[in-house]
Parts: sequence; C-alpha cells; structure tokens
Amino acid sequence: MKIRNYWNLRDFGANLWENAGRPVRVAIVLGSILLVGLLPFMGGSILATPIAAFDAVLVYPVGMFVLMSLGLNIVVGKSGMLDLGYVAFFAIGAYTMAYLGTTTNLNTWEIMPIGIALAMIAGVLLGIPTLRLRGDYLAIVTLGFGEIVRLILLNSTWSKGPNGIANIPMPPDLGPLKFELKNQRVFFWVVMAMILLTIWMIRRLTVRRPGRAWEAIRQDEDAAELMGIHTLKYKIWSFTLGAAVGGAAGVLFASKNLYIAPEMFTLNVSILILACVVFGGIGNIWGVVIGAAILGYLPDRIRFISDARLLAFGLVLVVVMNFRPDGLLPRKKREKAIVKREANA
Amino acid sequence: MAKIGKTLLKLDNVTMKFGGVTALNGVNLEVKEGEILALIGPNGAGKTTVFNVITGVYKQTSGVVDFDGISLGDQKRYQVTALGVARTFQNIRLWGDMTALENVITATDVHKKSGLVGALFGFPRARREEEENREKAMEILRFIGIDEYSDRLAKNLPYGVQRRLEIARALGTSPKLVLLDEPAAGFNPAEKVELAATIKRVRDAGYTVLLIEHDMSLIMGISDRVVVLDFGTKIADDIPSVVQNDPRVIEAYLGVPADAS
Amino acid sequence: MFEVLIDQFWSLTLAGISLGFIYVLVSLGYTMVYGVLRMINFANSEIFMWGTFGTIITSRDIFGYTQTSAPATGGKLALVLISQLIMSMAVAGLTAIFVEYVAYRRLRAKGTNRLATLISAIGISIVLSELMRLLTDSRPVGSPRVLEKIILTEVWGANIRLDTIVTIFAAALIYFLLERFVQLSRMGKAIRAVSMNEDAAKLMGVNLNRVITTTFLVGGLATGAAAFFYITVFEYSKFNIGFTMGMAAFTAAVLGGIGNIRGAFYGGLFLGLLEVYASAVLGTQWKAVTVFIVLVLVLLFKPNGLFGEAVQTTRA
Repeated sequence: MKIRNYWNLRDFGANLWENAGRPVRVAIVLGSILLVGLLPFMGGSILATPIAAFDAVLVYPVGMFVLMSLGLNIVVGKSGMLDLGYVAFFAIGAYTMAYLGTTTNLNTWEIMPIGIALAMIAGVLLGIPTLRLRGDYLAIVTLGFGEIVRLILLNSTWSKGPNGIANIPMPPDLGPLKFELKNQRVFFWVVMAMILLTIWMIRRLTVRRPGRAWEAIRQDEDAAELMGIHTLKYKIWSFTLGAAVGGAAGVLFASKNLYIAPEMFTLNVSILILACVVFGGIGNIWGVVIGAAILGYLPDRIRFISDARLLAFGLVLVVVMNFRPDGLLPRKKREKAIVKREANA
Repeated sequence: MAKIGKTLLKLDNVTMKFGGVTALNGVNLEVKEGEILALIGPNGAGKTTVFNVITGVYKQTSGVVDFDGISLGDQKRYQVTALGVARTFQNIRLWGDMTALENVITATDVHKKSGLVGALFGFPRARREEEENREKAMEILRFIGIDEYSDRLAKNLPYGVQRRLEIARALGTSPKLVLLDEPAAGFNPAEKVELAATIKRVRDAGYTVLLIEHDMSLIMGISDRVVVLDFGTKIADDIPSVVQNDPRVIEAYLGVPADAS
Repeated sequence: MFEVLIDQFWSLTLAGISLGFIYVLVSLGYTMVYGVLRMINFANSEIFMWGTFGTIITSRDIFGYTQTSAPATGGKLALVLISQLIMSMAVAGLTAIFVEYVAYRRLRAKGTNRLATLISAIGISIVLSELMRLLTDSRPVGSPRVLEKIILTEVWGANIRLDTIVTIFAAALIYFLLERFVQLSRMGKAIRAVSMNEDAAKLMGVNLNRVITTTFLVGGLATGAAAFFYITVFEYSKFNIGFTMGMAAFTAAVLGGIGNIRGAFYGGLFLGLLEVYASAVLGTQWKAVTVFIVLVLVLLFKPNGLFGEAVQTTRA
C-alpha cells in the first residue's frame, strides 16, 4: 500500500497542494506558468523536434491539443457524453476566422467572440434534438455532424470548396509582442492564456452547482432528473461550453496557419482529441493536460510514429479502456481527509 | 403527533397500463398534510408504479394526480421535484462518486436561483447560496444522524447509511411530500426500530410521508393510515388496526407471513 | 432539377432497391448486436470495409483476374462469385468476432460503464481502418470485373442489368436465410431471448458469451455479404469507405427501429431508394448530408423508428 502512494501522481500532487499554505500555492502556480511559458526557448535541448520547429510544434499540435482536449473533457469527462464530432466546432471557429478575416477588416481578437458564438449556436442546435437520446446515439449523431460540416465546407462556394481559404490575416501585435511565423512563441503564449482561462472556467464550474449537476448526470441521469436537475439544460450547457472552447481554438488555428481547407477537419481530429482525453484521464483536468501534451508532442519527436499516428491513437483508446480506464491521472476522488484520519487512528 | 391538515396529494381514478398489462386500475388515494401514509401490498401490486406515476417517470394512462392544486401529469420530472415531491429508490441510486454531503448539496440546488453564469463569475448571490446550501445539507445529515459520514464517498458507505443518505438526499430538495420506497429493505430488527424513529422525526419536522414497506410491524407502529393495493386495485384504506383485520387484506397480503421479505 | 428523377425514374428505382438491399444486410450488423448488447456496434463500418477487400483479394489474387481480363462466364463465373461471397463473409465474420473479443468482451466482464465500452469500440474501428490505410498506402483499390454488366432487357425505359438483378435476388435470399436462422434455430431463439430480457435468458441457462459472439458473427456475415454485393456493383474499395456506409446502414437500422430485424429490412430499402432519388435531385455530393438529415429527423420525431420498436431514450 505504501509503495503505491509514490506511484499515485494524483494523490501526490493533491497532497502537495493541500498541505501548502496560500503563499506556497501562489508560488507553485506562478512558477509553473513561468516554466511552461519559457518552453519555446528550449528548442535547442533534447526536446527538439526533428521535422517541424520546436516552437511551432508547441503551438500546434501540443498547445491546441491541450486546449481542445480541455474543451472536449467538459463534455466527455464532466457530464459523460461522448461527442465524436468535436472537430466540427473547431472547423466552425476556423472558417469564421478565415471568412471574416479575408472579407472584412475585423482582426483576430474581434472575430474570436463571433467564432465562439457561432460554435456555441451550432452546439445548441445539435444538442437540442440529440441530447435527449442515450449516449451511443449522441456518439453516432455527433460523428455524422462532424462529417457533414466538412462536406458542407467542401461543397460550398463561400468556403471556396476543396481549395480552402488562403491569406488569412495573422493577429495584430499585442503591444511589444509580435506574431511571427518563424518564431511562434507569442502564439504559444496566447494558447497558454486560453488554456489557463479554460482551466479557470472548468474549476469554477466544477465546484459549484453546474459541476454537481454534470457529475450527477454522469453517474445516474435518471436519479439526477428525479432529484430536480433539469438534465437537458445542463447537458446542453456542457455541450455548448465544449463547443465554445473548440471554436476559440479554431479561430486561433486559422489565424496562425494562414490557410485552411476542409481536409484539415476530418473525423481524425475528433478521434485524436478523444484519445488525448482518454489517455490522460477522463474527467481530470491535469490528466487531460498532460495526456494531450504527450500525445501531441510524441509523434513529432519520434519520427516513425508520425505516419501511423492515428493507428497508435486508436490502440491507445482500446488499451487504455481495457486496462486502465481511468487513464494516466484518474479522476479526483475526494475522500482524502477522512481516509487519512482513519489511517492515523 | 403532528396535526393532520388538508389534502396534499390526490390520485383520482388513476389507471396505468403497459401494453396489455394493467399495473394500476382506477386507484384513488389521498395523502393529507402531516401524516405518515403507508402503501402496502403483495409484490407486483403496483406500489412502485404509484411512485413512478407521481414523480413523472410514467405518464398515467388515465386519471389525475393533483398535488397542492397542481396537476402533476403536465409537469416534467425535474419540475415535480421543484414543486415539493421527493423520493427515495428501492434499489439505492445515490451518486456513488460524490461524498455524502455533495449528494445532499446537489439535491438542495433545486431551489437555487443562480445558475451557470453566476457560478462562473462568483457573483455574491451565488457564493452566498453555495454557503447556505452547504450549511443546510450538513444540517440534514445531522438530522438524519449520518453527519459523521459527510466526507465519505457514497459508494463506500455501509449499506444502512446509504439507505439513510437516500432519505437525506430527498429531504435536501425541501419537499412537502417525501416518498420512501422500502426504506427498511435489508435492515435487521434493531435498524428497523431506529429507522421508524427517524421517519417519525421526519414527519414531526413538518414533512408529509408516503411510504412503501413490507414490514408490517414497522408500518403498524408508525403510520397514521394504511392503503392496501392488490393487482393494481385499492382494496383497503384505513387506520392500521382496522386494515389489519380486514378479511380482504388478510387474504391478499397478510395471508402470507408478514416477515416474508 | 427534377428532370433526371423523372426521366430515369425506373432505373433509379432499380438502383435504389439494389443499394437498399446492401444497406439491409449491413444494418443487420448494427441491429442484431444492438438487440443483444443494447450497444451500437461501432466497428461494423470497418467490418464492412474489410469484407470488401476479402472480395477483391479473391478475384484478383486467388483467381488471378486483372483489370484487363475478360469477365468470367458459365461455371467459372459461378465458382468465382461464390468464392468471393464466401471469402467476404468469412473475413467480415472473423473481423466481427475479433472486434467483440478485443473491444467488448473484457469490458463487459468487468462490468465497466458504457462510455468505456463505446470508446474502446471506436478505438478498434480506428485501428481497423488505419491498418488498411497503411496496407493499401491510402490508395483506392479497383476490383477486376468478374460479372459482366450485361443489359438483360429494358422495361419502362430502364436498363435491367445483370449485376443489379444478381444483387437484389441474392441479397434477398441471404437476408431471408439469416432471418429464418434467428427465428427458428436454437441459437437464434437464444439470441432473441437475450434481446428481450438478458437476466431471464441467463436464468434459463443461455450461455451469454456464446450468444453474443454468435450475434457478432451473424451480423458480420450479413455485413460481409453486403460487402461482396457492394464490390460487384461499385467495383472499387478504399480504407475509408466504411464511414459513409456505416452512417447509412445505421440510419437504416434506426429508421426500422433498431434491435428489430424486420425493421432493418424496411429501413434499408427505404433509405436506399431515398438516397438514389435525392442524389438525382440534389447531386451526389449531398448524399451523405441527406442521410444524416434523415437520421436526425427520425431521432427527433420518431425515435422508435418508422417501422417498429424501440430506440431507448434516456427515459427508459
């Protein structure tokens, strides 16, 4: 039993956090943010990636995967609904940026709220008919939805069909911070800020009423409804918040990539993100962050994985579900205080 | 003993059919404010169906369910709870991965005003409500006598505590009427005595109780009135001592050993 | 807009029926597994895709046909076609058993929640399709023509082609045989018993694992047969054809009331016709969109299907 404790990262981390006073906590948070923020300067170290530049890899896939996984985790992890069409929201955000960015004078930051809003509207429209249904139906309908959005983009004239949209503007400079293609560290910091914002949002909601409602729905939906929880409303909220994060990621992605086309938004993206969530630990924010960072980074670091990336991710899904369904860092179980008391007695 | 008041819940000629099977056949039932009403009958008599119709799990084929002047048939399930009807489940259905306290807090959320946006930005009202609900939930746990388990995950609690937590969770929704579905199932005699006292305390605290139970001694000890169902039809409705001697009831139900369950 | 539909109504109808029978068989893979497990067989689309390669390999590698060789005739034709059908069914059937074994069985034994099983099933379908992508180098693979597409006769302006007729009659026959198997055989009765009430069936001494494996196998055989007909009509396959087929066949199963074998029959034919007509009016690029819209509308307004029982909502 004792040995296990060293291996149990979740409890190790939780203990560290819980035994720390407020100044220590602030120091831990600021220190970690600073450390992660310095990552783009580590391009020359052992972390370096052979094909793409390290700072670019940090933005996409690593940063984007983390951001999207956090968004998907609100849906899959918090309220237990399987959304296989998550890429659709990413695509909606990206095409909003591409279309408005090339046809109007609006800049990335002005388009961001529009992209988020459109993704959320799509989430509500899809959610109302499907979220009443049982989990597997939601899975297959969202799967179809993701593909439909791609087909619409592929066959519409405004989206320039298979050619995609090019010459998407980069974000305007933020004071002294300039966005550049050859050095993407500012992009990385923006993704980081969005990740932190998302984490803040999830944490806020988790400890309060919406989080409890989601948790209750995930564990026993019928009991939740009979205890007065408007389950459909909370499921739609969860779905829509997930969509919002996906949309935000899409806007930034388009503004970083400068060119987007329907082929970038296939089902594979949804599956990759799902694998990140599952690998790290469904429902656990830190697990998801670490899982997504690893799965985003490894294929770029280790060359031979990159071609068979999706195959590997499919295997991750099967193996993790069969042998460690809670993932790398399992969902938090809040029984620490009492268990400790018993252990001491 | 609490004062028995006006009619709180009224089932008027309620029939429930599943395909060709009639689970409830023209059932009339009245629950008065402040009473403990026991609903008994052999297995398959339709007792749990009554609960399911009241709470909106099923929509009755015909008839009216009136609660405090509102027809429950038109309400969604979560609305029924908000109106003041809460229930427990025969097969325990707690949220296992939440602590006992969280189970009850989640139930108290029914009457919260602040929603998602308030929670996100930590508006003062949302914070205050969080605090109040935590207090209230703790109080309920104390009232039911399981406050020492407040931080334990529901799935790790002893069986008897889980049963009691079901009652606590129902009380968390601040109901007027509490529906208890076999709350003593699997209890030993000592635990049953304790539970009887708890149910009485619940009633004395101002809740009205509708109870499904098999244990006759428990029922005879605490209920003000007993309704007997047999094959979906009401065959008796009176004070316990009268029901106990009703020949139809004896034939339908008491003919089998009372402690058969 | 509607000219094509009116002009070619009868040939479209014929094409719709043959496509419909392919859907009927694939949707059996969904509907039967759903009946027994109350879970969607997510990998059925990839089981279908593997089946198509079973067909292609038989004619191309075993019998040595190439894109330029002359179509077969007489006894040779029957031999090749039947070998292709058997191979396709065998590959799909074995893949289905593999899927059940790897993705479902262990999780079922542990009694884990549905989400985990669903994710595991999605994982295995990704593995199946990616494996084929790597094996085929992401390229489409053409199937040599074995059955010559002779025009037999013309009725109401529609060309009645041999491959269409073979597809319709053979698929109907296979559907009929499978349906009889489920209705009459001992194993079929066990499958139906489990669909109705798992606990009761177990009490009656039904070996649940065997029933589930058999269900996957039968669903896989039906799907494999569909894969053979698909190749006979369309003459090519690719690692990603499963997706569209899976969506359509699943929609057909839901249309017919998932879990209901006869429902799959009506649902498949209905969808086959609808898809062909809709493509004639709107253009083939919107085919998948039409199917998806049908699925959402059915789930929204008729979740029990148009022809039968029970999609269960969260309420059940």
